[in-house]
Amino acid sequence: MPFSPSAGPTHEAMDALNAQMDEDRRLSDLADRIEACALGDRTALRAIMDQEGSRLLGIALRMLRRRDLAEDALQECFVSVWRKAHQFDASRGGARGWITTILRNQCLTMLRKESWEIAESADILERRQDEEVVMDAYGRLDMNSDLRRCLDRLEPPKRVAILQAYVLGYTHGEISGRLQAPLGSVKAWVRRGLIALRECLA
Amino acid sequence: MSDHQSLMDLAMEVALGLADEAEAAELEARALQDPEAAAALNHARMRLAELDDTATPETLPADMWDRVTLRLDERGSAVGVLPGTVPEFDAETDTILPANEPHAPRSWFMAACTGLAASVMLALALGWVVMTRPDPTVIAVLINDTTGEAVALVEGTEANLTRVTLLGQTAVPEGQVMQVWTKPEDDGPPVSLGLLADNRGTALAADGLPPPGPEQLYEITFEQSGGSPTGLPTGPIHGKGFAKEPL
Repeated sequence: MPFSPSAGPTHEAMDALNAQMDEDRRLSDLADRIEACALGDRTALRAIMDQEGSRLLGIALRMLRRRDLAEDALQECFVSVWRKAHQFDASRGGARGWITTILRNQCLTMLRKESWEIAESADILERRQDEEVVMDAYGRLDMNSDLRRCLDRLEPPKRVAILQAYVLGYTHGEISGRLQAPLGSVKAWVRRGLIALRECLA
Repeated sequence: MSDHQSLMDLAMEVALGLADEAEAAELEARALQDPEAAAALNHARMRLAELDDTATPETLPADMWDRVTLRLDERGSAVGVLPGTVPEFDAETDTILPANEPHAPRSWFMAACTGLAASVMLALALGWVVMTRPDPTVIAVLINDTTGEAVALVEGTEANLTRVTLLGQTAVPEGQVMQVWTKPEDDGPPVSLGLLADNRGTALAADGLPPPGPEQLYEITFEQSGGSPTGLPTGPIHGKGFAKEPL
């Protein structure tokens, strides 16, 4: 095929490629930094905080809703990253996912512990806000992403139950309360919804 | 349904945060050894992680790094428990151990001084509650599933002072520590009550928990030094049992 300028990569394509390479580099930096933490390098932990901190704080705030609690969760997340760094194995999964899981587990632990401390504070306003937060998360998913496409195919109660669990850290009981549906139904929705999601995402 | 499919479904439930805690802890522990379990968990998490990216990033508070380093500089603090809030006394000898201090004083004199100082602190901190050793409102005998033997006696008071007495020698794996857990709510997650320093019986104080009740689950797991990194049990269960009310 004769060379022609139009056959070469466009500026947009080059930009996208460069952006992808930058992202790959950032992620491999992250894995290196976790490994450096395992060797006792605190500047590596600081670099992880600078790189991932605000993203993680956003996730924590969405789940915990209170800024003080979200900051506590983030603080404990970095302490765990430091202490667990020796367990990180890049061959078993990505660095960003590994850190995010630590944060999510920390938030879930706090939520489960908080549930009886905050008790029955849930009112109508809060319920409406929760719906907005969940629908906002759903709406922000890339329309072309597999997750969005597969969630779209679920019946609404299954979709909402799964989104409430992931985005807000709800238990089966909390979903049941918010959706005004029997606990047994909620458990079945989640189970069947996850199976459908797993099959769709395979 | 194939084993692989049920593994994937369980991994999805764990990633979603709705798996039964025991199942979640088991799968996470398994993933450390078993590449198939690790891959299933990783796959499930990667798939759902797109939702994390829909959260709006937040600016970190200026003191975040200081807060983190302050926590890193604490020694031997139990996961999820604020430093200095876990006074310990040795159930066997009734000696009081200061929280977050090495438990091997260099001489009897040091031991006496440390013990005395800690007694004063503990007395101030806990007042008569500990000194009078209130009667437990619940008692649980923890049984090892494999051997069927009783391995520990747990006594809990109204104010959530939990006294753990180990029954017989415990073979704690090298580099690990025993962590005590309870489930204040039947369908809630286990909550850490603290670590058994030096792998001996001790009393653990927990803030913010409801008073323990009958049929409440207590268990001891082996965790990495410093305690479970996730805040939930990850290691093998040494013993577990349900509380009863003494008459």
